[in-house]
Parts: sequence; C-alpha cells; structure tokens
Amino acid sequence: MEAAGAEERQLLVQRLKAAVHYTVGCLCQDVAEDKELQFSKQTVAAISEITFRQCENFAKDLEMFARHAKRSTVTLEDVKLLARRSSSLLKYITQKGEEIVSSNMEQKERKKKKSSTAKAAEQEAAMAESEDSNMA
Amino acid sequence: MRCPCAGQAPEAALLTQATRGQPPDKGTASESKKESNFGRSILLKQRPAILPDLDNGTPRFMLKRIIQTQAKVSPLALEVSKHEETEESALEPPSKRISNTMEMQLPGFVPEDTSVPAFQMTRKKKKFSISEFEREADKRLPQNQTQSALDNTSLARSLRMSLGSLIPPDTVEKRGLLRRPKKRKAIDVEAFEGGVEQNMLQRKAQNYLVDSSAASMTRGTVLTSDAEIVLSNTELFVQAGEENPHRPSTLEPQLPDSKISAQNSKTVDAVPEEAKLVGLESSVATDGGRTHRYSEKNLIIDYESVDRMTPVSPKTSVSQGDGHQGHSHQSELVELFSVPEEVVAGAPGEHAKAGYSQQSEKKLTKKRESQVTKAQEAGVEIEMITSEAAEGNIEHLDSPKAEPQIARSFGTGSLNRHSRAFSSQYFEESGEKSLKKTTEQAGTPHDRAATGEVADIEEVTTDDEAEIEERESRDISMKTPAFIRAAAYKPLSLPSTPPPAESDTPKIIPLQPLWAKPVPKKSGASQRKKREPELASSLIKKIFSHYVKMPVTREAFGIVQKCCERYFKQLSNDLEAYSQHAGRKTVEVADLELLMRRQGLVTDKMPLHVLIERHLPLEYRKLLIPVAVSGNKIIPCK
Repeated sequence: MEAAGAEERQLLVQRLKAAVHYTVGCLCQDVAEDKELQFSKQTVAAISEITFRQCENFAKDLEMFARHAKRSTVTLEDVKLLARRSSSLLKYITQKGEEIVSSNMEQKERKKKKSSTAKAAEQEAAMAESEDSNMA
Repeated sequence: MRCPCAGQAPEAALLTQATRGQPPDKGTASESKKESNFGRSILLKQRPAILPDLDNGTPRFMLKRIIQTQAKVSPLALEVSKHEETEESALEPPSKRISNTMEMQLPGFVPEDTSVPAFQMTRKKKKFSISEFEREADKRLPQNQTQSALDNTSLARSLRMSLGSLIPPDTVEKRGLLRRPKKRKAIDVEAFEGGVEQNMLQRKAQNYLVDSSAASMTRGTVLTSDAEIVLSNTELFVQAGEENPHRPSTLEPQLPDSKISAQNSKTVDAVPEEAKLVGLESSVATDGGRTHRYSEKNLIIDYESVDRMTPVSPKTSVSQGDGHQGHSHQSELVELFSVPEEVVAGAPGEHAKAGYSQQSEKKLTKKRESQVTKAQEAGVEIEMITSEAAEGNIEHLDSPKAEPQIARSFGTGSLNRHSRAFSSQYFEESGEKSLKKTTEQAGTPHDRAATGEVADIEEVTTDDEAEIEERESRDISMKTPAFIRAAAYKPLSLPSTPPPAESDTPKIIPLQPLWAKPVPKKSGASQRKKREPELASSLIKKIFSHYVKMPVTREAFGIVQKCCERYFKQLSNDLEAYSQHAGRKTVEVADLELLMRRQGLVTDKMPLHVLIERHLPLEYRKLLIPVAVSGNKIIPCK
C-alpha cells in the first residue's frame, strides 16, 4: 500500500520535474536569444533541479508561516514573508499583489454592474470608472 | 580437602574450600595441602582477630614487614610479577600457584587456625618456587626473590601491591626500619640498591627508548596473558616502575607511567606538572614525534591543570601578566610552546622566569577564561593587555590610545565573571577618571574609541546599556553553547581594522583593566549621539578563538565581528517579521522555533525541546519546557 503510494508519488514527482525542466528550458532559450548567449544542457538541467528543490523548500516554509499565523490557507502575506530577503523580489511581489487585488476589485465591480439595472449599471460604471481612475 | 593440582585451577579449589569452610589440614605431606594451609594461614594473617598469633599476625606487623622487605619494588612490578606468576602457575609447581591463589584469595575471608609450622614449611617451598620463577623471569630485582621468599605470603605481596604506592622510596635506604633478622634480607637491600642504581642509570640512558616501548608494553602487560610477553615486558616495566617511586620528577616516562601509577596519589598531582615540564622540554627537544605527542598530552593536561589552577592563581596570574604587554603579540607559535610553560608557571604558583612566566600566566588566565566561558585566547591576550593598561594607572594622555585597545578587546563587554570581578576590583582600587573612561569604553565596541573623547563620552552612556546587557548575557551565557549565545547576543560594532592599527603602538603603555565597571558613570559632557547596542568584541574573540583552537589575526577578528553583527541584525529582523506575521508585538518562543526551523536546527526529527535540553542549563530548561506535576499543576504556569 505504502509502496504503491510511494511509487505514485515518485511518478508524480518525476512528472513535475519534467514540467519544470521544460519550462526552464523555454526560459533559458528566451534569455539566450535575448543576450545572444548559449545554454548548455547541463546548465538547464542544473537550473531545473535547483528550481525544483527550492520549490520544495518554499512549500515547506510557506506551510510553516501559515501555521505560525494560525491559518490553514497560504496567503500573499506568507509569500511576502518568504520573499522579504530579496528587496527587489519583495517589491515585485507586492506590486503584483496590488495589481491582482485591484483586478479582483474591478471584476467585482463589473459583476455588480451586469447584475444591476442599466441605471444602476451606469452609476456603477461611473463610479467604477472613477475608482479606476483613482486607483490608476 | 584435596586440592587438585593438576587439572583444576588451584584458585577455584581453594575458593571452594574456603566457601565450604573446611578446616585445614595440617602437616600433610601433599603440597596441595600445604598450599591450602599456607593460603589459609595467609588468610588468617589477614584476620588479626581470628589469628591466634596476635603479635606477628597483626596488620601493623605485616605492614612493617612489607615495608621493610618490599618497599623497593614498585606496585607495577608486583603486578607484573603477579601476572607472571599466574602465567607460570600452570608450569610451575603448585607451590607457586599457592602464591597466586593467595593473592587472589586475599579479599577472601576464611578464618582458619594458623599453622605456623605449615606456614614455615610452605614458605620454604615458596622460596624454591620463587627462586625458580625469578631465574626464569630474568630477574633484575634481586629483591623480588628476597621479597617473595621473605614475604612468604601472597597476602604480603598483595599488600605490597596496594601499599606500594604509599611506601616512599626513601624507605629503601633506611636501615632503621629493618627489624627483621638480617639473615633473610641482608642480601636484598644491598643488592637491591645496587640494582636500583643500575636501573636508574640504565633508565637514564634508555629513557626515550624505554618510554616508547614501556608505554606500549605497559599497556600490553596489563592485557596480554602470554607469559613470554609478560616476562619480556616486565623488564622494561619494572624498570619504569622502579624509577617511578625514585624519580617522581622524571620526564617523559612519567606520562605513560602516570596512568598506571594512578594509585600513586603523591605523584598524580606532580605528574601533570612534570609532564608539562617534560612537554616543555620535549617541545624544545629535537625529538620530533615525541614532541608532538607529549606536547599534545601536555596541552591536554594543561587544560586539566588549568582547571585546577584557575581557582588558585587567577589573581596572581592577572597581576603578573600586567607587566608584559610587549610580549603579548609575539608569534602565536610561541603560544603553543608556552602552553606547557604556562602550566608550569601556574603549577608552582610563580616562576622566576620573567617573560615566559608572565606570558604563560597570561595564557593561563586565557585558558581559564576560555574554559570558563569558552573565551578566545587571542581575545584574552588583548584583554590582558587592556587589563594591564588599566592596572598601570593610565594617564589621560594614554587613555585615548588605550581606549582603542581596550575597546577592541572589550567589545560589548560580555566578559566572563572573573574578568568582570577583576575589572570591578581594579576600578574600585584605581578610582581614576581615566580608568573609568577606559573601562567604560571597554564595555563599548572598540571602534568608537578611535573617534576620540567624544566617542568616549558616548560610549559611557552606551556602556550602561551594554553593560546591563552584558551582565545579563553573561549570566545567561555562562554555560550556554555558542549557538544559543549567538541567538542571545545582539549585533555589534564596527570595523576593527583602524583601532587595531592604532592599538598596536600603545601596547606597551599599561592599559586599564578590560572589564568595565558595573555601574558606568557618565562623564560630565552630555552624550552626543546614541549608539545602537553592540556585542562585546572581546566576547566574540574569546568564543571564536576557543572554538577555532588556533591563533587568529586581528583582521580575522574584525571580519568575524562584522559577520556576527550582520547575522544578529538579520536574526532580529526575521524575528520581528515573524512576530508581526502572527499579529503580535512581542517576540515569542514560537517565533524562535520558526526561525530555527528555517535555519535547519529544528527539524521533524529534532524538536526544539530536545535542543533546549541538550544545550541550555537547567534553569532555562525549567523556564522553557513545561512540566506537569501533581495537583494539576504545570510548571511554569501557562
């Protein structure tokens, strides 16, 4: 039973590793074209392996952080705590987070607009626009 | 009762007889019976209460006879001879076995009637067997024969073995103690003395060779059961053993012998110190391999002896170390060699050697401190410099120069208790403003000292905080491992390169004591700016050099201090982030556990409580790990 589960898990891990490897290969190709460099296969393999292991670490840390905050869901706050070491990364993540939040807000607004009547929609649209303008 | 001589071990037979408590046969023709009687008589002699012969059977009398007859032979030799006897028991006539069995049965308790005639008869037989044994054993000690012949009891022999260490070698020479009829030992004493002298001469000549071989062999003698090996070893071993009582101050052989002659209470204390002397000499000697070995041993012994000496000579060493700052920065290679010197200096208390002893004392204090607080040697060295400076009544002019030195060495001031005590003492004694200034600075990082008096004033204020922290951390860190300390300490000071450069020159100037006053006094001028709390650089140096066990350069110390500072800054930032993440404003144990988990110290296999148990003192464990007691109570209360 456990052996079968372990095997399944192994298969899953391999598939995930393959996916990461493929993605890393694509990214490396883009960078190579951009910088006019070349990436050897071992390099791509090494990068994908490192990425995979680091993802495992991240997952464990994120789970720890969520538990530390007495939550059962990993949120953006946990991710920010994880990335606080790298200032640029933290800034980037924060920025992206804000964008996501705003886009979510916009979606909510749009839903409200659609659900409401035309008048209300117009008013909401106006409000949404103003909000958007404010937010932008 | 028949003692099966051929097949069984006579010991077993006698033992069984003893347990059965059968009465001894007297005057039987068989050797076995004589042996048994002999043994019992010996056992009887052991029991004065039971022996009818109260005059000659008392322990006092036995002891006298032993001292008279067997003082010359070392307990080790006796052991070997006993081993040899046991080895040869199978070969020798049973009378010999008797002696062995007697020895084995000494702790026995069979009360039996003495049969003096049987005893004498057995004694004669013993003489024979022993002489044969002696011949075979290539005796170098005529006394062995005489002793065994005279002693006529393995009991005496065993007593000899046990009391051999207590018997001073001088008894060999004294004729006054010899009360037994000379006819028995007349030969022994003279022959023995001659033999002893010969052995001593041979020993001197063969000292080194014997040492290595004896060291290897003495251990072998205890373990090997081969008669030949034992026999061949006895020579060297006996040689070594003989020299042991005669020359407690001998050199290297003492090292391996000391282990064996551990029973020699007299020499135990002398041996390490002698070993150190030896190590000192050996370190100087051309004997390369042995030098390393003994120097290592000496170093080990030095640490042990330093432990003993620390309570004795902390003050003296400190005071003596004051006048020798100039030597403080000698090549650190010298430190290795001066270690035994240091121990030697510490052992007798004070050596007349000027530079060496003082250096060694400095290092003694260093070692002491390191042992006590895992201090760093180099750091102590610098501390010594500063302490010396402090004691030397620094003048105001010197103080600016001394400050960088002191500041460098003091660091954040988490010094060990001793140094703190000393510094406080010195401060009370001196009572000079400059001293206070320097001490205050000592409490603060050395970097600021370079800025001048302004910085000094600043340091004064920061000293208050730093000292308070230091005191707390000191108390906490008395026995905590480095990593726990690392977590407890706060980030520290600044580049150390400029101050060390400055401090090089004023080294000769006597510096004030390194330890800051417990209550720093603010100077008249107000503090210009607040410095963030820093970790005592002296503490960092001590801990670092303790764990690295090598001399460390000043630049390295500076880098280490920078690393520590960054590490603790990052650590505290992480802790703040974690506590904020949990919506709290106080850093809790959970935050620290999270941090340690991220560091990899705490894993699924290694919980935090195990680490606490392993590394923290009991007081902290009691605070951290809740324990349930009767009455539905949990300590500490949750």
